[in-house]
Amino acid sequence: MPEPARFLDVDDSPDALLEAFVERGWCDGLPIVPPTEERVRVMLAGADPARSLGPMPPLWRETRLETLGVNAVMAGCRPEYFPVVVAAVEAMLNPEFNLYGVQATTHPVAPLVVVNGGYGREIGLNGGSGCLGPGFRANATIGRALRLILMNVGGGWPGRYDMATQGSPAKFSYCIAENEAASPWGPLVEGDTVTVFGGEAPHNVNDHVSTTASGILTTMAHTAVTLGSNVGWYLAQSQLLIVLGPEHAQSIAGDGLTRADVQRFIYEHARLPLGTLKLGGMWGAQDWPAWMMALRDDDARPPRVPSPDDVLVLVAGGPGKHSSVVPNCCFSRAVSRRIAV
Amino acid sequence: MAKAGTPSALIATTAFQGMAVRQLAARGVAGLPLLVIEHPLGGERPEGIARRAHQALELLASLLPP
Repeated sequence: MPEPARFLDVDDSPDALLEAFVERGWCDGLPIVPPTEERVRVMLAGADPARSLGPMPPLWRETRLETLGVNAVMAGCRPEYFPVVVAAVEAMLNPEFNLYGVQATTHPVAPLVVVNGGYGREIGLNGGSGCLGPGFRANATIGRALRLILMNVGGGWPGRYDMATQGSPAKFSYCIAENEAASPWGPLVEGDTVTVFGGEAPHNVNDHVSTTASGILTTMAHTAVTLGSNVGWYLAQSQLLIVLGPEHAQSIAGDGLTRADVQRFIYEHARLPLGTLKLGGMWGAQDWPAWMMALRDDDARPPRVPSPDDVLVLVAGGPGKHSSVVPNCCFSRAVSRRIAV
Repeated sequence: MAKAGTPSALIATTAFQGMAVRQLAARGVAGLPLLVIEHPLGGERPEGIARRAHQALELLASLLPP
């Protein structure tokens, strides 16, 4: 594969441009916006292009603002999205997030970016109907920019240094706003903030029947843990993200439950019997504290995350009786970062 | 560990050889011995794992300085 060039002369046609970038392994397979000097300059909006946020794994190459800007242009970002991209990269480079593990693992993990605060709404980030799907430029292109950065700066190219066995559609783009207006409990994080969560693609939670917190949260807890999930095997870094649809959230809050109550309920009920855990998954390779390793009763139900605080709860989506659970990869912890606006 | 003077080597399976080579270079220890074993390791039964571990240990010892 040719080495990256500082500048590239390409015929002025969309087809030639796409071919040139695909040939060099510089894109995700989808068409890109040409990252011309002028477009990158506008994207940076006066920020120092040489400023580095640090080395990015797995190839540990410097994360310069200019290269972030190039990838943001390629992804189709508007300049006002760029502060969100930068904040998300800063969050991913926090050692707690373990970006090396997230990038290089065989697990299908992708950084889910959750944006809180008024700035996200201002730039058009969607936290309502269909927010985890297509159709919203800010969601789609911020998420895509981050994927391009993870590939082109970090070197996380699938099959080479991103060793995901099957990968995930979440690796194309994975960015939402929280639907703060629909949350009975306030935002996941106060202020203009991004939170990155190393998660699988969302797992649907369908509950059209329950009208109580008990029913909805029981369905949620049942969906949250399965024998094939990564969550729980390396306990210390296992986390669950609960994305409640607004209607489920209202029903739960209507029974008087707080966010902390939801966290506690999921912590207590998203469990499997020891006898089930012994049937497969990563049994025998688990990294558990001594008290859990000492369990012998097959009916015992050890926790799958270290504490209720490791169940993150937010509200997103529109009308309907669906929520989702995003299990993490069990070797990364969520990190939040202020957006510099 | 290697930089601190502890004899060290990296073990990778064939499927991860390219990744291992790049990581050694990226971390400034490109000269570190690399032992490549057949992929996969997962799915081996315990007796197979023990046999392969012993084989790898012998090879590893031969790669490290006396």
